[in-house]
Formats: sequence, structure tokens, C-alpha cells
Amino acid sequence: MSDVEDVPETQLEIDDTEGAELEDEDDDMEQITAQKVLEILETAWINEMCAPEILPSQADMLELMVSQVAHMEEQMRDLDKNDFRAVVHSMELERVRYIMASYLRCRLQKIETFTQHILNQEAGREPDDKRLSPEETKFAQEFASNLDEYFHKVATQYMPNQQRGEAEQRIVTPNLMSHVFLKANVAVPAVIVGVDDEEVDMAAGSQHIIPYQLVADLIQNNQAQLI
Amino acid sequence: MSGQTKMFGEKAFDLLKELERSSQTIPAFDDDGVRQVLEEIKAIFEENVAQASTYNASGDRSLWPLLNFRHAALQRNKRCLLAYLYERCKRIKALRWEFGPIIPGDIKQALCEPEVTFFNNYSKSLAAYMCSAGYNQGLPIDLTNNLRPPKSLYIEVRCMEDYGKFELDDGEVIHLKKNSQHYLPRAQVESLVRQGILHHIA
Repeated sequence: MSDVEDVPETQLEIDDTEGAELEDEDDDMEQITAQKVLEILETAWINEMCAPEILPSQADMLELMVSQVAHMEEQMRDLDKNDFRAVVHSMELERVRYIMASYLRCRLQKIETFTQHILNQEAGREPDDKRLSPEETKFAQEFASNLDEYFHKVATQYMPNQQRGEAEQRIVTPNLMSHVFLKANVAVPAVIVGVDDEEVDMAAGSQHIIPYQLVADLIQNNQAQLI
Repeated sequence: MSGQTKMFGEKAFDLLKELERSSQTIPAFDDDGVRQVLEEIKAIFEENVAQASTYNASGDRSLWPLLNFRHAALQRNKRCLLAYLYERCKRIKALRWEFGPIIPGDIKQALCEPEVTFFNNYSKSLAAYMCSAGYNQGLPIDLTNNLRPPKSLYIEVRCMEDYGKFELDDGEVIHLKKNSQHYLPRAQVESLVRQGILHHIA
């Protein structure tokens, strides 16, 4: 009986046949289909592109996808180059690769823009809550010190002493109140909008324009997604 | 100080204006301009320090607005200067994405030495990050590839210069001669297109 809980997941794997990658997936130990991984990544990618601040990293999903892509490539090698399936599959792989690259690029761009702000926030978070992957953290730190060094060498070292200690004024922070388009995945009752505690009920599938900060938690809980 | 004929902060603003207006990828580093701004900052600061001590000693309220004004000018200079540097940083970063880890010679002349250091460090961190982004698969994702959403697997390209042999992933070797046209896998020739060796036709 202890296995009962796992059954729906495995069924998903069998039922779901629309994904191009699926047929190679059966020996994977993960209880999640390639299609599902791709969906999660796609959502994460779109959210990341639309959100003003950096969102939690999907490094695990990405890793799964990378291995999946590698696996696919392995299999494709046996196919004839002019086989129709090969063309479709490699096009699909190209798309997946673009999504992954674009996702990581988008995060890097945010890290570069809001370096110090993100590092400060990360420092205050529990290890489980960290939004950056270790690699990204390393990159952010290197980038921050690199930028500081450059500023110091060219300009700040020549400035009078009292003027230097204002680095915290230079921190670039994202505008969390910028408006975003979002779609509710599930019905969310009583979302507070506006300053005077006005409330709105979001029906599942409904679309809204709203300042990001008010719905940031919905996006993280996957109750809504940005579009 | 050039404050006799010019207003405070004018030079700093000029720096920014010129950078903004230049059509080059990155204009030459304005060594002279930066130095002048720094000198102005220093001069203002010293005057202010001198008068601040008089103000503290005598309590002469009439100096107060002047002190404030100078401080504001100083802040503005500083801000313009740092904005200038930051904007250049951004362009230098763009260079890395456009040209890869080596700066083309003519652009390198426009950079000052700390900027080259910045570029090299940035390039190093980015490369390290890209290697680790492939995780344990031994398959680094080249983030500088796949810059545009793929529309088709193959693209038609025209060769702009004699490049010589180019080997595709499947071992096929093609000769890229000037003005020859090829139909090639997009993923593998994207970097050549960006370097301007190949030209993407429609």
C-alpha cells in the first residue's frame, strides 16, 4: 500500500504522449516527465522575463533538462539525418536550448544590474530560501568586486575621503511596483490591491494588470503566472 | 579650477552627453575629462572644508547656503562621473557578448587599462559560470549562442570573406569562400554570423 501514492505520477508518465521528448524518458529515475520539466522551465522562463526582481532559481529543473537534451542527442545520432523525425526532434531541441539559454541570460542580466541589492538580500536569506544557484552567487560576487575595483581604480580613489563611503547610495534596486500582466492559475480569493486595502478575487484563468509586489507571493507559489 | 568661466558640473555633464551621442560601439576613454571632473570635485571639496571650519568657528549663518550649494555640486559631479563609468561598463559587457573573450584591436584602443582589466575579469567569470551551468554533464551551455529564438534549423548564409575550412558537427568540411552561399545548420554558424564572416540572407 505504501506505493499507492506514487501511482498517479507513474501514470502521468505513460499517459502523456504529446511531448516530443517523452519516448526516451521511461528509464529515468525521476518521477517527473520531461514534458513536465519543460513546462516548469517554460513558466519559470516567462516569469523571469516579466518579473522585475530575480526569482528563485530552477537549477534542478535545468539540470534535468540538460541531461534530457544530452540523452536525446545521443539517440538522435542513430537516426538518419534526413529522417523527418530527426528534423522535428532537432528543431525541438533547438527550442529547448534557446529557452534554457535565454532563461539563464535573463537571470545573469538581472544579477548584473542589481548585483549589490541581490547579494544583500541573499545574505539575509536562509540556505533553503536562496534565490541564486551557487554558480550564480559566485558570479554575482565576482562581478560586484570586479565593478568596485574598476570604479575604485578610475575614480573613487581620487575622490576626497568623506565622499567614498557612499557605495550604498549606488545600489540599484528593481522597481517592485512596476505593473505586470498575470494570469491566475487557480482561483485566488481576496488579493489586496492598491494602498487602501481594496480586495479583488481572481478567478482561475483570469488575467490582470497589477503592480508586481502585490502578487509576488502568488507567483512564487505558482498560483499565478506572468504573461 | 575652471569655475571662473564655467558652471560647476558642466564638464561632468559633457562627459555623459558625449558618450550618449557617440555612434561608435564605444568611444575612447576621456582621460582628460575624467581628470578635470575629479579635480573639480577635489577643489570644491577643499573649499568647502575650509569654509566649514570657518563656519564652525564663527557660526556665520550666511555661509550655510554656500556650503550646501557646493555640496550639491559635488554630489552631482560625482554622480555624473560614476554614471559615465557605469555606462561604459555596460558597453564593455556588451562587447563580451558580441565578440567573445578577445577584444578586437581597434576597440581595445578606446579602453583605458582598468577597463581592460574589468573586461578580462568579466569574461573570466562569465566563462566560469557558463562552464558550471552545464553542471556535471560535461556539456557547458554556451549562453552567447542561441541569442534569438530559432525559426528554422538551417539558414542560408553568404560568405563575406575568405574564411577557409569549417568543420560541421557531423564531420562534414565545407570551404567558406568569399561570396559563396551555403545552407547551414543555424546553431553551428551563429557565432560566425555574429562576427560578420557570414551574412544571413533573408
